Amino acid sequence: MASSSSSGLTFKLHPLVIVNISDHYTRVKSQMHPPLTATNGSDGVDNTSSSPSSSSSSPSRSPPPRVYGCVIGIQRGRTVEIFNSFELLYDPSTHSLDRAFLEKKQELYKKVFPHFYILGWYSTGSDAQESDMHIHKALMDINESPVYVLLNPSINHAQKDLPVTIFESELHVIDGIPQLIFVRASYTIETVEAERISVDHVAHLKPSDGGSAATQLAAHLTGTHSAIKMLNSRIRVLHHYLLSMQKGDIPCENSLLRQVSSLLRRLPAIESGKFQDDFLMEYNDTLLITYLAMFTNCSSSMNELVDKFNTAYDRHSRRGGRTAFF
Amino acid sequence: MDSVQALITQIQGLSSSAGDVSRLHSNLKQAEETIFSESARLFSALDQLDPSIHSLGYLYILEACSSGPLTKERAAALVLPISRFINACAVEQIRLAPEKFISVCKRFKDQVMLLEAPMRGVAPLLTAIRKLQTSSEHLTPLHPEFLLLCLLAKCYKTGLSVLHDDISEVDQPRDLFLYCYYGGMICIGQKRFSKALELLHNVVTAPMSTMNAIAVEAYKKYILVSLIHHGQFSTSLPKYTSSVAQRNLKNFCQPYIELANSYGTGKITELQTYVQTNKEKFESDNNLGLVEQVLASMYKRNIQRLTQTYLTLSLEDIANTVQLSSAKEAEMHVLQMIQDGEIYATINQKDGMVRFLEDPEQYKTCEMIEHIDSAIQRIMALSNKLTGW
Repeated sequence: MASSSSSGLTFKLHPLVIVNISDHYTRVKSQMHPPLTATNGSDGVDNTSSSPSSSSSSPSRSPPPRVYGCVIGIQRGRTVEIFNSFELLYDPSTHSLDRAFLEKKQELYKKVFPHFYILGWYSTGSDAQESDMHIHKALMDINESPVYVLLNPSINHAQKDLPVTIFESELHVIDGIPQLIFVRASYTIETVEAERISVDHVAHLKPSDGGSAATQLAAHLTGTHSAIKMLNSRIRVLHHYLLSMQKGDIPCENSLLRQVSSLLRRLPAIESGKFQDDFLMEYNDTLLITYLAMFTNCSSSMNELVDKFNTAYDRHSRRGGRTAFF
Repeated sequence: MDSVQALITQIQGLSSSAGDVSRLHSNLKQAEETIFSESARLFSALDQLDPSIHSLGYLYILEACSSGPLTKERAAALVLPISRFINACAVEQIRLAPEKFISVCKRFKDQVMLLEAPMRGVAPLLTAIRKLQTSSEHLTPLHPEFLLLCLLAKCYKTGLSVLHDDISEVDQPRDLFLYCYYGGMICIGQKRFSKALELLHNVVTAPMSTMNAIAVEAYKKYILVSLIHHGQFSTSLPKYTSSVAQRNLKNFCQPYIELANSYGTGKITELQTYVQTNKEKFESDNNLGLVEQVLASMYKRNIQRLTQTYLTLSLEDIANTVQLSSAKEAEMHVLQMIQDGEIYATINQKDGMVRFLEDPEQYKTCEMIEHIDSAIQRIMALSNKLTGW
């Protein structure tokens, strides 16, 4: 079920879809009776982020619920752009999606977004399963070649990419029988400006009143810090790789070496004296500002200390003698 | 002889491990009377003990020997063993009986001063301080004694090395007063007026419940040093000064405040006449040297004021405005100031013109970065400490 797609369609996924799917999953999981894990219930509803938000990797009582829904968007020529999604009811008895519900919802959405078509469906889980093909075929009468968007809700810290996979169906001949199987398709994330702001907002949970300057500065610096940290770790990986290549542990791969050298050559050449001067001057200015801030901080705490001391120990400035300590 | 011998063997036997040493300590405390009465004989038995291993016992014996009236012969006899002991003793054993150690060192200082050889006491007291301090921010009662010896022996540089540490723990307030006062005097001797000002400021603003003679003397020097260094003096003390000091200090230092007022007018002749009339008062306070320096700094202050008005000036004009006698003298003054870094100027000797320049520091060197960085670290450490209190 895993080979890559050869249909030549380009898929563009909007982040709103990912947020919607994870939101759906989180809400369902948190509202389950009884709740799956004790800690999960409280943070489930509030915690929405663009990556899978559930905090437990394996439930204590039952397998995590699968949620189902429909994805809609526009198909222009060879480009399939998935804009939005909505939830659907899953009928466990017939192992299929509730058709009447789907059509009602489709009508409603058509009124609001006349250009969007049903492009496929989504679900959660770690990998596509056989039963999914059933649902997939059921949708084929609305769209001849629906897409299947799969979100993996388990959090894997080692994984760097989004746990979202898009599958297409292809007719392959296996053992002499033509069968539809799922094949992975590559996709890109596409955003509109406004979308990016709202997703960013949701992802970073900024305080609703805009926050004071301090928290905004802290948030900005945290973002920069994590970006630098990630850059540092990637460079370290590359460096380690190159070192072991030099030692001979790994066979030399010339294409990779070429890429590394071109990357290095793209770095800005900043050896000139004028740059050093300006850079040092700006660096010194920033250091001075930090010094000033620390100074102010220290002076204010010193001031408080002095006030406390004067109130407690200076006999003449207050009545009701508390004696000085010497 | 028996008790003496028993004591010696006890000390020798019980000085190896920490548990033994604490037992020895309690034994010694109980045997104090015997030690005092047999001090002479114990003193002769001292060479059976090794100061680096048997420090605690050695300390008790030394303390007993050095108490009592001080005569020149006794002083001469004791100085050498004490200084050897201080150099060789073991730190942990000393810290078990700090008061004894302090009293031995104080006696040592008295002996050294009696023998009129303060230089002999400087190095041992420095080692004593380092061994007694629990951390580099701890002010021991030995600090002011050490600084006093440095002042008397005129070795200011060794004194300066101790003054660099920031203080945050003080045993006795009187130590702090004396330490800052002597420290201020050492810095004045080394012409490091900003550090002297800081130390004297500490004495004046330290918490005190009644008027303190040290603070009065320090205030007088504080006025003079601030005139030399800053060219101005304000009588208002910061709000963390104790109210006792705020109200009473000015009454004790009236002549100095008048001096500051006449300095503020900027006229050299007035200042000179004032100094002449009050010469005895300044002399009695041992501040005459400082007052002379104040006079000299008046010229500097006036020349510095000129830099704010003129870009270039001839040497004769400088001499006239500042009321110096000749252009040659003016040139010498300006040259000295350029060398000290107090003004930035170039002298054109051909036509006798002085051109005043801006501060050439561009603040874009790596040393400046390190300087600011270390200053930031210090302030962060201080801030953490303050919020912890």
